[in-house]
Amino acid sequence: MLLALVVAATLNVAATTSDLRDLVAAVGGDRVTVANLTDPRQDPHAREIHPRQIALLRAARLLVRVGLDHEPWLARALRTTGTPAADLDCSKGLTLLGTETARLRPDSRPHVHAFGNTHYWLDPENARPITARIVDALSALAPDQREVFAANRARFLARLDEGLARWTESLRPYRGSRVVVVHDTWLYFARRFGLTIAATVEENPGVPPSPAYLGRLMERMRTTGVRVVIAEPGAPPALLRRLTEGAQARVVTLAPSVASDPEASDYLALFEVNVRRLTAALAGR
Amino acid sequence: MMADLLAVPFLACLVLTGIHAYLGLHVLARGVIFVDLALAQVAALGMTAGLLAGHAPQSDAAYGWALAFTGGGAALFALTRERRGVVPQEAIIGIVYAVTAALTVLVLDRVPQGSEYIKQLLVGSILAVTADEVLRVAALYAVVGVFHWLARGPMLALSSGGAPPRAALWDFAFYFTFGLVVTSSVRVAGVLLVFSYLIVPAVIGAWLARGLGRRLLIGWAVGVLVSALGLALSYLADLPTGATVVATFGAVLAIVGLSRGMLALAHRVRREGARALAGLGVAIGSMVALAGVGLALFPRADHVWLDGLEGFVPVVQTAFLTPYERGVVNGSRAAIARGRTELRRLRALDADAQWGLRALSPEEQERLRQFLAGRDELVAGDLLVLRTLRDKARERQRLPLGIPLALGGATLALLAFRWGRSNAGMPGGRSTR
Repeated sequence: MLLALVVAATLNVAATTSDLRDLVAAVGGDRVTVANLTDPRQDPHAREIHPRQIALLRAARLLVRVGLDHEPWLARALRTTGTPAADLDCSKGLTLLGTETARLRPDSRPHVHAFGNTHYWLDPENARPITARIVDALSALAPDQREVFAANRARFLARLDEGLARWTESLRPYRGSRVVVVHDTWLYFARRFGLTIAATVEENPGVPPSPAYLGRLMERMRTTGVRVVIAEPGAPPALLRRLTEGAQARVVTLAPSVASDPEASDYLALFEVNVRRLTAALAGR
Repeated sequence: MMADLLAVPFLACLVLTGIHAYLGLHVLARGVIFVDLALAQVAALGMTAGLLAGHAPQSDAAYGWALAFTGGGAALFALTRERRGVVPQEAIIGIVYAVTAALTVLVLDRVPQGSEYIKQLLVGSILAVTADEVLRVAALYAVVGVFHWLARGPMLALSSGGAPPRAALWDFAFYFTFGLVVTSSVRVAGVLLVFSYLIVPAVIGAWLARGLGRRLLIGWAVGVLVSALGLALSYLADLPTGATVVATFGAVLAIVGLSRGMLALAHRVRREGARALAGLGVAIGSMVALAGVGLALFPRADHVWLDGLEGFVPVVQTAFLTPYERGVVNGSRAAIARGRTELRRLRALDADAQWGLRALSPEEQERLRQFLAGRDELVAGDLLVLRTLRDKARERQRLPLGIPLALGGATLALLAFRWGRSNAGMPGGRSTR
C-alpha cells in the first residue's frame, strides 16, 4: 500500500537524450522516473519511432527536449501521442553558437542545424541554467517538492563545480590549441576549454568530403602542425585512417553523449573521460 | 595534389571496372539486374551480424560473416532459378532485397552507431581506399577472373539460357563468385558505386555491339573513361567522390542513349521522310502547351524552364519590368557579385585565423565573424530583391507569355498528331513498317 503510494507519487518524465535524462535524474532524485527516448549510441537525428518511445511519451507528464532541430522525429511521435502536460525545451535561454548562418544563407555551406548548433550540453556550464529550468518544470507539476529538487540541484552543482575546476586545470596547458573535428559536435566544448576548431572534416555527416577539400585539409594540417582530430564513435574508419596516414593526425574518439561510450556513465563522467582522452591526445601520448 | 590524392582511388576504379563490366554482361544476359543489390544487401546483413557478434566494421571477421551470408544468398538464387514458371526470378531477388534490408535495420537498431554504418555501406569511401586494399581485391578478382575464363563454357551457356550438365552447381558457382566480388567491392566502394560499375558499362556495351568480346571491350573503355572523368570532376568541382562517379555514369549512359535515339530517328527520317518526326512534334508541342498553361495558372510557382531561358535571354524577363525595376535588378546583381567576392575573401581570412596562419585578436575575430554574418545577410537580401522582381515579372508574363505558349504548343501537338495519323494511312507511310 505504502509502496503503491510512493510509486504513484513519482513523476514520469521523458527526456529525448541520455544527457537530459541524466540532468533530470540529478534534479529529480527518487521523486521522478525518467527515461530517455533515444539510444545515445545511435544518430539522434535519424530515428525511426519505436513502440517504446510512444509508450514512454504517453506515460510522461513532462517532456524534456534538446530543442532547435535536434529531434526531427519528435514532431511525428507527438502527433500520435499528444504533447505531455509540460514540455521543456532546454535550448531556450541559452547562448547558442553556430547561429550566424541561420536564415537565407546565400552561399550556403552544408550544415545540419538551421537554428544554431544543438550540442550545447557539451559545455558543462550550460548544466546550470538547464537544471534550473528542470527544477521549475518539475516543481510546477509537484509544487510541494520544490525544496527537494532545489537541494538535489545544489548538490549536483557542487559536484559539477569540483569537476569543472579539475577539467579546466587539466586542459589549461593546451588553451589556444587548434584541433580538427570530424563532425560539428564540439563547438561548445571547445569554447569552454579554450580550444580552437580549425576545420570540420565532414561538414554534413554521412556525406564524405570532396577530394579537393580533403586535400586542402591535410595540406593545412601538415603545414600548421595541427595534429589532433576529434572523432565520435561511428565516424567513418576509412576516412580517419586516411587522415592519420596523410597528415600524421592523432585521432581521439570522444563521447558526445552520456552512455555513448561505456566509460561515460553519467553527465560528470562524460567530461571526465573526454578531458582525460583529449589531454592525452594533445600531449601527444 | 590531384594526382597524389586520386591515384589510388583511380586504381581501385580500374580494378572494379575489370571484373564488374564482365559480370555485368552475365547479369544482363540472365535478366537478373537487381541480383547485385540483393547480394550486396545480404552481404551487408552478414556484416551487421558480425558487428552484433562484437567485431569492428572493417575487420576481417566481419568480412567473413559477410561472405558466409553471401554464400547462403548464392545458394538461394541458384535453387530458385531451377523452378522456372509463373514467378520470374527477379521477384525472388526483390523479396530477398527487401527482407534482408529490413533485417539489417532490425540488427543495426541493436548495434551502436547503426545508422552511421548504413550510410557508410551505401556511400562507401572510395576516396579513402588504401593501396593495400586495392592490391588485395585485385588479387582476389584475378583469381575469380581466371576461374570464369576456365569455366566460360558452362557459364556462358547458363547465362544465355542453356542447360549444361550440373547446371545447379554452375549456377551456384556463378552466384557465389559474383557475391564474393560484390562483397569485397562494397567494402571498398559502397553499394551505389558497385552497382553502377556492374550495370552501366554492360548496358552501353550491349547497346553498341554484338558478341561478348566486343561488348566487354566497350564496357571496359566506358568504365575507364567514366572513372577518370568522375574522379577529376569530383576534384575540380569539389564534390563527394563516390556520388560524382555514379552521377557521371548516369550522364554518360544518358548521352549514349540519347545519341542512339537520335540516330534511330535520323534513320527513320531517311526511310519515311520528315513525317517520322510527327511523334516528336506531338511531344514537344504538348510540353510547350503544358508549360504555358502552368505559367498562366500558377505564375508564382517555380518555372525552372523560364528561369533557364531568362538566364540565356535576359530580355524575356526585362521586357516585363519598368525601367526603374530594371535598374534595381542590375544594381542587385552587381551587389551580389561584389558581396560574394568579398565573402570569399573574408572566409579565407577567417579560415586562416582559425588555423593560426594569421594572428587576429579574439575581438578582431569576433568582429570578422559579425561582419561575415552581416555580409551574408546583405547578399541574401539582394537575392530576395531579385526574387521579388522575378515574381512581379511573372505576374506580367502570365497572360502575354502563358496563353500564346499554351495555344501555340497545343496547335503544334494537334497538327503533328494529325500529320502522323494521315501519314500512317498512306502507302509508303508508317503502315509499311
